[in-house]
This record gives sequence, structure tokens and C-alpha cells, in this order.
Amino acid sequence: MTPVRSIRRELVVWLAAGLLVAVAAAAIATYMRARAEANEIFDYQLRQMAASLTGVPLAGTPGGLTPGADALVVQVWDRNGVQIFLSQPQQPLPQYAQLGFNTVGTAAGEWRVFSTLAGGQVVQVAQPMSVRRELAASMALRTIVPLLVVAPLLALFVWFGVARGLRPLERVAAALGKRSPGVLEPLAEVGLPNEVRPLVHALNSLLGRLDRALGAQRAFIADAAHELRTPLTAVHLQAQLAERATTDAERRTALVLLRAGLTRATHLVEQLLTLAREEPGVAERSFAPVNLVELSRSIVGDHAAIAAARGVDLGIAGDHADSATDATPVVVNGDAAGLRALLSNLVDNAVRYTPSGGRVDVTVKRDAGDAILAVRDSGPGIPASEQGRVFDRFYRVPAPGATDVSGSGLGLAIVKRIAERHDAHITLGPGLAGPSGEGLGVTLRFPAAGA
Amino acid sequence: MRLLLAEDDPMIGEGVRQGLRQDGFAVDWVQDGRAAELALAENVHDLLLLDLGLPRKEGLDVLRAMRRRGDVRPVLIVTARDALADRVAGLDAGADDYLVKPFELDELAARIRALLRRHAGRAAPVLVCGDIELDPATRQTRVRGLPVTLSAREFALLEALLARPGAILSRAQLEDKLYGWNEEVGSNAVEVHLHALRRKLGADAIRNVRGVGWMIDAKARAR
Repeated sequence: MTPVRSIRRELVVWLAAGLLVAVAAAAIATYMRARAEANEIFDYQLRQMAASLTGVPLAGTPGGLTPGADALVVQVWDRNGVQIFLSQPQQPLPQYAQLGFNTVGTAAGEWRVFSTLAGGQVVQVAQPMSVRRELAASMALRTIVPLLVVAPLLALFVWFGVARGLRPLERVAAALGKRSPGVLEPLAEVGLPNEVRPLVHALNSLLGRLDRALGAQRAFIADAAHELRTPLTAVHLQAQLAERATTDAERRTALVLLRAGLTRATHLVEQLLTLAREEPGVAERSFAPVNLVELSRSIVGDHAAIAAARGVDLGIAGDHADSATDATPVVVNGDAAGLRALLSNLVDNAVRYTPSGGRVDVTVKRDAGDAILAVRDSGPGIPASEQGRVFDRFYRVPAPGATDVSGSGLGLAIVKRIAERHDAHITLGPGLAGPSGEGLGVTLRFPAAGA
Repeated sequence: MRLLLAEDDPMIGEGVRQGLRQDGFAVDWVQDGRAAELALAENVHDLLLLDLGLPRKEGLDVLRAMRRRGDVRPVLIVTARDALADRVAGLDAGADDYLVKPFELDELAARIRALLRRHAGRAAPVLVCGDIELDPATRQTRVRGLPVTLSAREFALLEALLARPGAILSRAQLEDKLYGWNEEVGSNAVEVHLHALRRKLGADAIRNVRGVGWMIDAKARAR
């Protein structure tokens, strides 16, 4: 489980921890240093004390010296090693002397001992180490107490400082919170701290992309609504004419046209749905190997009846023209449903725009590893000046004298969208020359890497 | 009344033409902007029904060019573009009315009648001349208050004559009002219809000016 993270709290905790470590380090350092200094001073003091005692006739009776503030203990031995003076008999000190400084452990803790030989006597001055430690500790304490007093104050400052520093973030959040979903203008980037600016910048870039995507969607919906009105108007008119019809023949004619209008509206809605499904990011479908030869045969089969009805000779040409032989498959990695929609649209367009007596050829082949799918017709073709626009949604090539414009204007837009998804390259070119023009050839090149 | 319909969609064009014919209008239909201009140049149509998204020449361009030429014939825009900006642009370019698809045929016919009426400087929907009353909306004719049954052609003929009482209309002009393109016009079709009209309305109602044409006499006392 992760607790709710707060930058403010985290900063305060870390700063407090850092402060504590620093205070502890300062205390330890002060203590060490103070002890070292105390050692020097007290050692000097012991030596001075011992020096001042040499030659002083010390009576054998103890108690001649009262226990001083520094808790010094003095012992004196004669040259025979007989103790002749002990200032504080109650202190359990060793009954021997080693000349110079020594630290000895006793039942009452460590003692610092200095012994010197002077005038036939051994004078020893001793002092408990605890005195030095207490002094060092008190010095260390004096160092850290002010720091400890200041610490909460510092935490308080950090607490408010961080809040102040984070205020731009709150402003950004408030500005975003107040927005309605339709408003995608960028947030102001001026006057922001360096830490917040990248976030706002990234947000603005996202907003920009969203705005463009939304704009494209809006344009699409507006176009779609406009385009849907046309077949609906036709249906509406025919329904009114059917209502008005006074004879059965009139009514029948109107109903036939009504049905044609419905077919057209349905086709447009289906094309719109296909296009919507091909919108980037709508549904990422998995790619699988698709045999273009099989796909072409299946789609040519689907369109055979309508082509025959229009007097158009639709078939497969090239290497796979002979349906008797099991031709080598041409396989690309792709979305089967998408490729089906793509080829279906191309064949549908070709059949639709090719006049009666014309021909439509579908070819599949491999070229330098790339898979090539081409649909050629003997229709009027597309003038070079129009070729740039034919992939636009709802754009129809102006065809003088055309009586059947039941196309949705979406076919090539769908083809383009699907081709892009497959990294396939589309080229428009001449098709099969016929009486009505040089025809149209649409060629798709699927790169070898995708095969 | 003869109308010019500029509409690129075949299904809609056919439907509108058929519907308006049933309402007694002669309708000529063109599918692109250039053809519309050619037809307008003939100067035989009383009103233009204009779609905006026309191939070859945009509907609005056709309209602007028409108004620049000083052509004041009524124009009714019939389009799928319903945005406020489109409607404002259409009306400001010189259109007289604006109808958004899909529409009712009855409404279209009513708007056409209203435009023709206003264009002729009349506010009353019923054409009256002397004892003769003609209601284009209900397609009823009365003489001295009594209903007279007229055929579609007879009605159209009378309507054309009543639209401009006192003006003489030639046979060619009357044919233009009665027949659209591709309609067979018999050599004496207009005379046949005029004869029938005179029989029903009274011989004095329509006066023939020999060698010029026919007119409705404002002071005519039918029968």
C-alpha cells in the first residue's frame, strides 16, 4: 500500500531528518573535541599540582587536603615505598605508582593518574576521568541546544515555504478544473517556476493535439451530417411522391426510387462506420498473415453479380488469372477485415465508374519482395488536377453527364486510411485504356518488411 | 410558371421535378453551375431553385454573377447546409429565400408561390382580374364565385396571363411558361388550350392580338 504522497510533508520530513543528523554530528564532534581539550588542560593541571606538592612536608595524617572541586586525590610515598600521605582514603586507588601519566581502571571508574619523583618522594595526583567526560558532555549540550530549539522553527518555515512554492501548481490545477471539456486553449506558461513549466508545457502540447483531433472529429461529423442529408432528402421526396401518387404505377415508381434512396443512405452509413472504425486509435486490431490472392478472388466473386448487371467485365488478371492452378500465395501481414474493406472499395469504385462494356482487372503480384495489389479499370480515369483531392472525405470527381453518383465519396478516403495503417504506398495512374478515357489504376505496394 | 432547378444529386433532382410538376409548375433541371448559367441566359424561367454545392460552378457564384448581371428573378436556395453563416451568406449574396434539406414538397411549392407573388408585386395569394379568380395554392379557379374545372395546362396558361394583366404574351412566351425542356409541344398546343379556356371562361376573357399574342383583359366581363 502506498500512502498519499505529499511533496510538502516529504520535504519537511527529510529536512527534519537531515537536521537531526547534523545536530547529532555536531554534538559528537563537539564532545570529542571538548574531551580532547579537557584532557590537555586537566593533564597540565595534574602536572602543576604534582609539581607544587614536591618538597611540601605532608604529614602522615590524611585529610590534610580537603577534596577539591576537581576531586583530586593526592598520594605520597617515601623512597621505601611506604605511603606517607593519602588525601582521600575512601577513593579506591591503586597503591603503587608508575611515573608519568596513566589511566587506570578502578571500581569507581577510570582515573587519570600522574606520578612524579621529587625529593625522594613519589607524588601522585589522580583525578576521575568522569570529570572530563562531564565537562565535554556539557559543552556538547551547549552546542546542540540552540540548534534543537531552532529546528521546529525551521520546519515551520519549510512547511510554509513549500506551500508558497507549490502555489503555481495549485493555480494550474484550478485553471484546469474550471475548464469545460470543450475549451482546449493552452494554459499560460509565463510566470511559472522552472519546475512547473515542463508540466504545463507537456499539458499544453497534449491539449493542442486533443484540439486538433477534436477539430478533425467535428469537421467529420459536420461533413457526415451534411452528406447524410442528401440521401435522406431523396428518400423524403420519394416518400412524399408515393403519398401523392394517384395511380398504382406512380406509386410503384416512387416506391422503387424510395428503396433506391434507402439503399444509398444505408451504403453511406456503412461507409461512415467503416471510416470511423479506421480512425486511428479506435480499435487496434491485431495483424495476421492475409493471402491477397485469396482475398482478391473472394472480393471479385462478391462483386461479380453487380458488375455483370452493369455490363462490366470484372476479373483477376496477371499471374493468378488462371483459377485452375493453385497459384503461389502472396501473403502480407495485415488486418483481414481492413484489407477486405480496402479492396472491396477499390473494386466497387472501379465497377461503379466504368461504363457498360468496360473492364476491371484486379492483379496481385510480388515485386522485389513487396506485395503489389492493383485494381485497373477502363473508366474515364481521374484527371491529374483532381488526383490530389480524391482521397479527401466526401470529395467526388466532377463527372459531367454522370447520372449515377450514388457513391458515398468515402471510398478512397477509407482506402487511404487502411493503406496508411498497413504502411502501404498508394499510387494513382492510368488503367486500361478504353473508349471513355485512359482508365484508372490504383496500385498498393505493401513493403516487404510487412510480409 | 416555369422554374429552373439546379441540383447535382440525381435522386433529389428527379424527385423535386416530379413533385413540382404535380403542383403545376414546368420544371427544367440542370446538374451543375455552368449549365444553370446557360439556362438562365435563355431568360425563360420565372424562378431559380439553387443548390449550393454544385459541381463546375458553386451555387453562390452562380447567384452572385446573376445579380451582377442585373437579373432580378427570384432565387430560392435549397441546400443541406443549415449553418447560420451559410444561410446569412446565401441571403446576402442575393437569394430571396432559403430552404434546408430535407424539406416538404408542399412547403417548397408554397415558398415558390410566395416568391413569385412578391416578385410580381402582389401580396394577396389569389390572382384576381375582373370576374376571374385564380388561387395558385389550391389550384382553384372561380368565375363570378363559381368554381370552374381547368386542366393543368389550362390552369398554367391562365396563371401566366393573370400574372401580368394587360400584357400581351406571345405564343413562344406562353409555350415557355407551360413546357419544360424535353417536353413535346404540339404545333398548335397553346391554341388548343386557349380555346378550351375561352370556352370555360367566356370568349371575352382572353383577347387575341393578331400577330402579337394573347392578353387577359382587365375589364373583361367573362361570359
